[in-house]
Parts: sequence; C-alpha cells; structure tokens
Amino acid sequence: MARIGEVTTQVETRDALARARTRAALVPDLLVEARRVVNNVIAGWHGRRRRGIGENFWQFRPYVDGEAVARIDWRRSAREEDHIYVRDREWEAAHTVWLWADRSPSMLFRSSQADVSKESRALVLILALAELLSRSGERIAWPGLSDPFAARNGAERLAQQIAHAEPTTARPDLTVVRRFSDMVVAGDFLDSPEETMRWLDPLARVGARAHLIEVADPAEETFPYSGRTEFHDPETGERLTAGRAETLGEDYRRLYLARRETLSRWCKKLGWSYTVNHTDRLASEALIGVHTAMTSEMDVGR
Amino acid sequence: MNFLPLSFGAPMVLWGLLALPVIWWLLRLTPPRPQQETFPPLAILARIVKKEETPHQSPWWLTLLRLALAALVILALAAPVFNPREKIAVGGEALAIVMDNGWSSAPDWERRVATATRLINDAKESSVPVIVALTAEKPAQDIGPFDADTAIERLNAAEPRPVPTDRPATYARVADALADMPGATLAVLADGLAGPDDEAAFETLFSAELSDVLWVAPDRLPVVALSDSANEPERFVVTAVRREDEMGPRQVIAHASDERGRRIAETTITFGPGEARARGEMRVPFELRNDFASIGITGEDHAGALRMLDENARRRRVGLLSQHEADQAQPLLSPLYYIQRALGPYADLIRPSDPELTEAIPQLLEQKPAAIVMADVGTLPDSAREALVEWMRAGGTLIRFAGPRLAAADHDEELLPVRLREGERSLGGALSWSEPQSVDDFPAGGPFSDLTPPRDVTVSRQVLAEPSADIVERTWANLADGTPLVTGAARGDGRVILFHVTPEATWSSLPISGSFVEMLRRIVQLSRNQGSLAADQEEQSGRLPPYRMISATGTLVPPGPEAEPLQLAGDAPVTLANPPGLYGSEEGVVAHNLLAPDAQLTALSRPTAPVTMSEARYAFDQSQPLKGPLMAAALALLALDTLAVLWLGGLLQRRPTRRAASTASVLLATALAFSLLVPDNALAQDNPQPGDMEAIEAIAATRIAYVRTGISSVDAISRAGVQGLSRFLAEKTALEPGAPAALDIATDELSFYPLIYWPIDPNAEMPSEEAIARIDAYMQQGGTVLFDTRDQYSSGFGSSGSVSPETQRLRDILSGLNVPPLEPVPDDHVLTKAFYILSEFPGRYRGSDLWVEASAEAESRADRPVRTGDGVSPIMITANDLAGAWAVGSNGEPLLPTVPSDPMQRTYALRAGVNIMMYMLTGNYKSDQVHVPVLLERLGQ
Repeated sequence: MARIGEVTTQVETRDALARARTRAALVPDLLVEARRVVNNVIAGWHGRRRRGIGENFWQFRPYVDGEAVARIDWRRSAREEDHIYVRDREWEAAHTVWLWADRSPSMLFRSSQADVSKESRALVLILALAELLSRSGERIAWPGLSDPFAARNGAERLAQQIAHAEPTTARPDLTVVRRFSDMVVAGDFLDSPEETMRWLDPLARVGARAHLIEVADPAEETFPYSGRTEFHDPETGERLTAGRAETLGEDYRRLYLARRETLSRWCKKLGWSYTVNHTDRLASEALIGVHTAMTSEMDVGR
Repeated sequence: MNFLPLSFGAPMVLWGLLALPVIWWLLRLTPPRPQQETFPPLAILARIVKKEETPHQSPWWLTLLRLALAALVILALAAPVFNPREKIAVGGEALAIVMDNGWSSAPDWERRVATATRLINDAKESSVPVIVALTAEKPAQDIGPFDADTAIERLNAAEPRPVPTDRPATYARVADALADMPGATLAVLADGLAGPDDEAAFETLFSAELSDVLWVAPDRLPVVALSDSANEPERFVVTAVRREDEMGPRQVIAHASDERGRRIAETTITFGPGEARARGEMRVPFELRNDFASIGITGEDHAGALRMLDENARRRRVGLLSQHEADQAQPLLSPLYYIQRALGPYADLIRPSDPELTEAIPQLLEQKPAAIVMADVGTLPDSAREALVEWMRAGGTLIRFAGPRLAAADHDEELLPVRLREGERSLGGALSWSEPQSVDDFPAGGPFSDLTPPRDVTVSRQVLAEPSADIVERTWANLADGTPLVTGAARGDGRVILFHVTPEATWSSLPISGSFVEMLRRIVQLSRNQGSLAADQEEQSGRLPPYRMISATGTLVPPGPEAEPLQLAGDAPVTLANPPGLYGSEEGVVAHNLLAPDAQLTALSRPTAPVTMSEARYAFDQSQPLKGPLMAAALALLALDTLAVLWLGGLLQRRPTRRAASTASVLLATALAFSLLVPDNALAQDNPQPGDMEAIEAIAATRIAYVRTGISSVDAISRAGVQGLSRFLAEKTALEPGAPAALDIATDELSFYPLIYWPIDPNAEMPSEEAIARIDAYMQQGGTVLFDTRDQYSSGFGSSGSVSPETQRLRDILSGLNVPPLEPVPDDHVLTKAFYILSEFPGRYRGSDLWVEASAEAESRADRPVRTGDGVSPIMITANDLAGAWAVGSNGEPLLPTVPSDPMQRTYALRAGVNIMMYMLTGNYKSDQVHVPVLLERLGQ
C-alpha cells in the first residue's frame, strides 16, 4: 500500500531559483505601490508613474506662479507665445520588502497528489518575488539573513544567502522590520492561529504591511486517508493512530478550514493579504495573487 | 484414524495442532499493522482523535480465519489420504485369487486389477501367501504362492487376452495348490461370461479346504461382440451379440474397414429390449464390399468387437471355360468376351492355360473358384466331368451357356438343370413364321425377381427345355412365349445354371444388354468361394502361419511369440496358441475369429460354495490424497485474509492514483512479453530467386533464340534475321514470336526456347565442352538446333574435295554431340508441308540441302542415341545462310542481297523459316495432312 505523504529532502536552492525565475518571467514587473512615502525615500530607478524626484522626463506643464524659476524649461517655453512650461521629472522611489519562507521540517511534506513539497513551493514563491522586486528596483531583505539591499541580481544574492543558512524552525526576529515596509511570509501556518498571530504581531505593531502565503498540500486539506493509519508529525515526532481514518475526515477538514478562516480574517482586519497556494496548483497563481495585493491601492487600516 | 476413511502420511505433524491456541493468543493481541503516514497538521488532527485509537485486538472473525488457515496448513502437511474403500476381510491362512482375463475383461481391466490389488494389499497386512491364477493364460502358468509384493508385480504384468477363458484347467491347478494350504480365502474374480464346463470347474475349485470364498463378478457386462458377417448379394450383414441378461435397448455402430484400416462403411446395430442378438446391414456397392477387410464395433475396445474377413467373404473367383478357338483378331466374336466384360469388375476371372478340357477343368478347380462359366461346351471328358460334379456338389456354381455344341451334345443329368431337346429353336428366320421373342418379367420366386427385365432384348435362337413337372420352379427367366431363357437347379450345396442362348450376340441381344451384366453379377454373388487360395498353398502341411493378430483391445497387431500356426483341418478353437486374427501370408489369409456365428454370451451364474461366500464388486481403490485440496483451501483462505486485511487497512476505499499508470505498465509488459514470444515471421516471405525475372521474360512469349558467337557482325545479322522471321511469322501466321533471344550457350537456360539458330563462324571461339554438353542435353530434351554454316556460296565453286572452315568447325562441334543419322529433307517430310508447300529451303544462297534426322522408316528407332522429342528432328543443318536472307533493318528493308539476287528467293527463305518454326511448334501433327487425300477418300466411301 503506497503511502500518501512523504517527507522530501531540502530543496536545492539553485533549483528553486531557476524555477522561481521561470515563474517570475510570467508576472509583469512588480510595481509596489508606494503609498506611504516618506521624504527621505531612497531613490530607486523605477518610475512611479508620477512626478517627483527622478532623472527621467515625465511631463511639461504650465508654469504656476510661485515655482522656482530655475525649473522653467526655456527651450520648451520658447516655442509658445503665451505660456511658460515647467519640465516635470518622474518620481522614482525604492521600497523595502522583507521576504521570509518557513523552512521547518513540516514544510518538507509532499503528498502523492502534489507535484512539489511545500518548502519547495514556498522558496520558489519567495525567490520569484525577490526576482520581481529586484527587477523593479525595490530593496529586499530576509529577516535574520540580510539587511535590505537593492540589486539587479537580488534574487541570486538572496538564494545564495538562503543556501548557506541552516534551515531552522525558529521564527524570524520581526523587530527589524520598520514602518512602511512590506513583508511577505510563505509558510503552512499549521500552528494554531493564536500562535501565528502572536509571532506576527510585531509587524502589526510597527505598521508594516504583511502578505501571508499559505502553502498547503492537497492531502492536508482533503484528508484522503482511510483505514488503520498511524500519523506522525515530522516536526514534533508525535504519533497518532487512527483506527479508521476515513471517519475523521469531516471533522478534520472543518478544523483545518476554520484555522485558515481565522487567519484570513485577522489579515483582512489589518489590511494584510492572505493567499492560499496548493502545491498541486501552479505557483504563478499565488504569485499573481500576491502581486495584485502588493500593487493594490489598499487603504491602511489605521 | 480408523473411524474415518482417512489416513495420514505424516501423522506426527498433527501435533502441530497443539500450537493453535498459541497462534490464537498471538493473533488476538496483534492488530494489523497500521499504515504509516507522515502528517504535518497532526496538531489539528489530535484535537479530534483524542485517545481512542490505542492498539486494539483484531476482529474475532479475522482471528478465526487465520486460525482456520493455520489448522488447514497443519492438516495438509500431515498428508491425509481419503480412502473410502470397502474393507474386504481376508480371514484365511492364504489368499487365492482366480481372475478371468479373457477377451471380455479388456474394457475394464484396470478396475479388475485394482480390485485384485486391493485384496492383495489387505492380505499384505497379515502377510499370508498369495496365489494369483489367470484363467486365459496357458495352463502352465506360475500361480504361486507368492508373497504380496510379488503377487502385485505379477498382477500388474498380467493383461487381458483376446481369447475365451479356460476355467477348468486353471481351476484344477488352483485346487491342487490349495490342497497344501488349508483354510485359504478364495477370491474368484470372474468376467461374467459363462464358459463351457463351468459347473465342473467350480466344483473342482471348491473341493479344496477353504475358509471362505469371495465372489467378484460384474453386475453388467456391456460388451457387444460381433459373431457373424455375411456378404449377401445386395448387402453386407453383420450380426452382433451381447450378454443374454442385458435387457435394455442398445444401439452400436459397426463399421467396415479396408486393408489399410480406413473406414469405408458403417451401420447401426440396434438391440431391442431383451434381445441378445441383433443384425445390421450395410447397403453399399458390391465393389466397395469387396474391399472390406474387417468389421468392427465403434467404441468397443475388446477382441470380440473386431472381426476379420478373409477372401471367402470377398471377391469371387470365376473360372472361364470355352471350346472356341481363341481368335485374337476378332475378340468381339469370342464367346467369353461379353462374360469377361460383365464380370471383370466384380470378380477375379481365371482362365485355364491349357484349352484341353481334361487339363483345363482340374486347373480351374485347383483355384477353388466360386463359379465356373462354360460357354458352349458340349460333352465333357469323364475325368473332368467327375471333378466338376464333385466341386459343384460341394458348393460350386456352374454357369453354362448354350451354343451349337451344347445343342448337339447328349443330355447330361448332372451338369444341366433341365433336359434339353436336341437341336436349337430358331425364331424369326426366313423359314419361320414366328418373330424374335422378347424377355418376359422375371419369375417372382427366382433370383432375378427384383431385376428390371430387359424389354429391348430379343432372342432369335435358343435351346429348348423338355417340359417337365419342375420346369417352372427351375426357370429363372423366360421368354414372352413362356419358354425358359435361364434355368437353374441346385446340385448338392452348389447349383447349375443354364442360359439357353449363346454368350455372344449371335443368338440373342441379351449379352449386349445391361441386364446381362446384372444377371451374371447376381449369380456370382449367390456363389461362394470354395476354399481359400492360401489354404491351397499350405495344403501339404495344413497349417497357416499367423499373420496379423487381434489384440485384447481390438486392434490388429503383429503376431506375438505365443501364436502358433493354425491347423486348417477342422475348426480350430480360439486359444492362446491360436489367437484370433489372420493366418496365412500376404498372398492369402484365413480369418480366425473369436466368436462362432452361433455364439451366445451367457451370463455366468454364481456357483454355490460349500463355505460362506461373500460378494464384492469391481471398483477402483479410490484413495485420494487430500494434501492438494487442503493446501488449495488454505491458499484460498490466505487470499481471503489478504482481502480482509486490505479492507481493514482501507485500501478499497482509497482511490489509487497511480493505478492507471501501473495497469498500463503491466499491459505494456505483457504486450512486450507476447511480442517476444511471437516469432518474427516477417522473414518467412519467399524471396524471388535470382534469375526469375529473366525466366519469366523468356517464357512470357514464344521466342526464337540464336547463339551469340561473339563476333558482332554475325550476331547482328542473326538478330536481324530472327527479327525478320518473327515479323514474317506474325504477318502470315497465328504465331507472334517475342523479341529474339541472344543466348550464351555456356550459361543461359536453353530449355525455354523451341529453336536455337546457330550460325557457324570459324573465327568464333570454339564452345567449351560443358556448353556442348548443354546443347546435347537440350537436344535430347526435345529442343532443336538449327546449324547454319553459311558457306554454300564459298564452297559452291568446284572445291568439292576441300572442306570449308565453317564446315570444319561444324564437324568439330558435332563431334561432341550425339547426332542421330541425318538425311536431306525428303520430299514427303513434314518440313516441306508444315505451312507452305516447299521443295527446297533456300537462304541467301540456294542449293544446299537442309539436313534433318533420318525419319523412322530409314532406321530403327531403338538404337538412336538422341531421343527425338515428339518426332521433331533435334538437329537441322544448312549452309544457305538463312538468317542473312531473313535479316531486315528497322524499317523492314532487307539488309543483305540474296545470291542470286531474286526477290522470290528471299520470300522462299522466309517461307522456309515459317515451315521450320511450324515444324518446331506443332511437330508431326502436320504430317497427318499428308494423309488427307486418303482420309477424304475413306470418308467418301
């Protein structure tokens, strides 16, 4: 009798990176909506489609009294008789996005219905986002691994750092995340919702925006087990024997979905996004979901 | 284990059953192993599962199933044997088995042996001596006493015999042996058929001092044996018998086989209720019946179901006798001609070598014919007459025909069925008022009664019978006016028959009518062969060697070592020394059959014995090892257990996702294995042989061939010449030859071509010996080679003494060939008339003769070295350069001038070519045209 689930080995980061690139290529450049702008934003080289401080031409507009005379574009103004024009430049600003994927043993689970393990999927998603954000000129960082940095090859650098880091079950130290930053967390969120809320609470406190991606294996959600089955937890090593597993399915699914519902509602309340990605579906689906969430003009809840 | 009919081969294993409680305890405690699954959301699951799922006990029915499985395996390992036989008590000090192994025991011999073996096995336990006596063996057989093992060996070596049992002799021996062993158990294993002296035999047997008697006889004996067969005029009758107490209706199929054992006829024999004897008839043509070699009953495998037929049942020998001087030139007038034609297909005709009656009649009688036909024989010499009468009284049939000699002879009481008036009666002559008489309906009681009377037969002359009291019953056929045409009378066992007309068509048209054939056939069928030829050959010794024996299973086998020559004198009984079968040799055989025609199969009644007699039945010892079935049951339980475990483990509910893939892979593997097993027969296609295309091309049309000399100018002219001739042929005749074929005589296949034109050129290379040999073979197989030396022009100028180089070369070539004698084409040769009428065969030159094989009148055919194929000359030689005259260019214009330049000469040359081709293709058929004037003249006459 073939087992339904198995524990896979750690995914090869380079492999994950390659797959992430493939995914990222499918998503248009990630344009992080910088709503909460501070004056001292670090200039990025990504146009924000509005006037501001930057190098590229954005528009000519009629001179309004009170503006610095030095900004008048005389060459343009010379062509008109009655108007004086000012050259606007496009505003270019960079944004910090913290990325983190759960790499605990429970993420190594892969059922026979899934194509990849949860860890693999989470890493792919994170790296794909890293690639997209780097391409857009945003600053990316992995809490506990790196400080925010902006580089064209941000995904590679991040992948390298992940590859050298020891996989750990520890939660990241979220106090480094500052206000106006975004944080993307990919994990299975199988702990109780209270626990999850507790360790994500610092984010809410500093007012950062978080995007939670729940990577779920279909077997975890549908519970296809039947007959006499002994379950064991890869993280805690606990064992549990069910005489006829099929009888537990309904209750289990209810609890499982209730957990997700709780988290999702909490996120919504905070103005965060909560995306579910099943490992038997395409990673691009979650990528597009997160992408939409990050670019949306979401109102800050406070 | 005696309360059950079970025995165990390894009873010690049964102790293993004690382990069952332990197994039960273990099974109760050990639940089926759960499926191990990694499951990260265990915390969620843990909230609903609580603590209920501790390892618990197996379901009770699973435990029971497994316990049963274990018990079955233990039982099976103990090798149980189910043995429901009835015990036969052998209480005596010894065991005497008297067993019938006659022919009727063959069908269920195995069962009888099994019964006897069982008896001996039972005796083995008490280790008493065993006597084994078989009633159809020779009296001198070794009957023991043996120990049990030897007795079983002897029993297994015994086999049924194709002869009846001889109880008195065997029983006497057993009684003698038992006299020394008082208190023995006697087991009589009878075959159920009564023998001649059964009562006395049993009395002898029971006279010994016995403890008890066991009587084993079959309740039913469903054998059907053939007791008689008769080849009657219209049918072949087979008589079958069965045991007299068989009451139910029964149907068997009897079949007739020829000498090679092929079934050529069959019939159904139906026994009515209570009938012990039934007949079946085969209505097949007489010719087919003559081929019958044996009669058998389908499905019966004992010696009684096969009956051999010898010559007596088959073709009759008919002697022919005539005083007419044999005239080979006018066979139609020979008196025996029509008789021979009429009887030839149905009988073996014998003719004496000496026409002298004193010699001829003993000669005929020596062959013991069934009938003798005498055509117009008047008076017989006394010695011959005595022998003839004796033969006739012993059963011979004498057929006489009237004629001038008979009409003139004195009356002979014995050899004529009726008294005849002297002289013959003439009807419808010039001096007679009466008309030729036709034949009346055949008398109802006579042998011809069911034949159709020949209405168109007229009788113009006959010999007349004196009226007498019994003339009517002796008349087999009479004329419309009531005078007898055929009369017959019995003489002893035989009969004499007189046709009152001649056997040839002078007195009546009877001999040329179909009825004549039928009447003679009928008479011959009524007759019987008076002994067998083989008997004659061995007459001095009176003994015939065994030839083919009938085995106990009813098949023909070569004679065994016990078979002895058959004494012909008297009716030899069927014994082991003379088993049933055929005696004699290939020339002639005598059938020695098991049952006499009046044989009856009487049931053997159970005799009364002075001591207690118990009864048993023939039965197989049906001991049946149970190990296999028990193991199979255990396997079935195991499968059931697997299914149950799967169900408990939840497999049946779980949807296997990879099943499709695995099924596909299994299918693929099966297909692969199958494809490996299937032989690659794509290689079995027949490859065309090299040269086939050339051969097909060569024979697709009739092609004229020429020999490629290797000199291009000669070859070009040859080709153009043959081409020109082909055109001319297509234009003038029905023959449309294909393209000319250039032949390399050393390598090419020659036999495709009717004619090979061979221009001789001295500059060409001399053909090799092999090539010459090929040409020789070609000529002998019917081909023709036309040699053309083309030197008429050059040799024509007075150089008569010298020989041109071409001629010299031709001589060289011909020296290696078997050349028949040659002659110039004579005037009346077929060649001159094959298509055109020609007097000469010119080419570019004229004057040279065309030489062909000398025709049959010139030489005798026997000593020719070259066979003439269909009378066509295998060789033609000319010097006229035929090809040169035939040669045409591509537009049909002549290439070379004729010498002298005469357009008609070219035409004649072409005509000569046409004649030669026609001669090649039609042979001497055209020579018949030579006779047309004579034929026309004859037709006119």
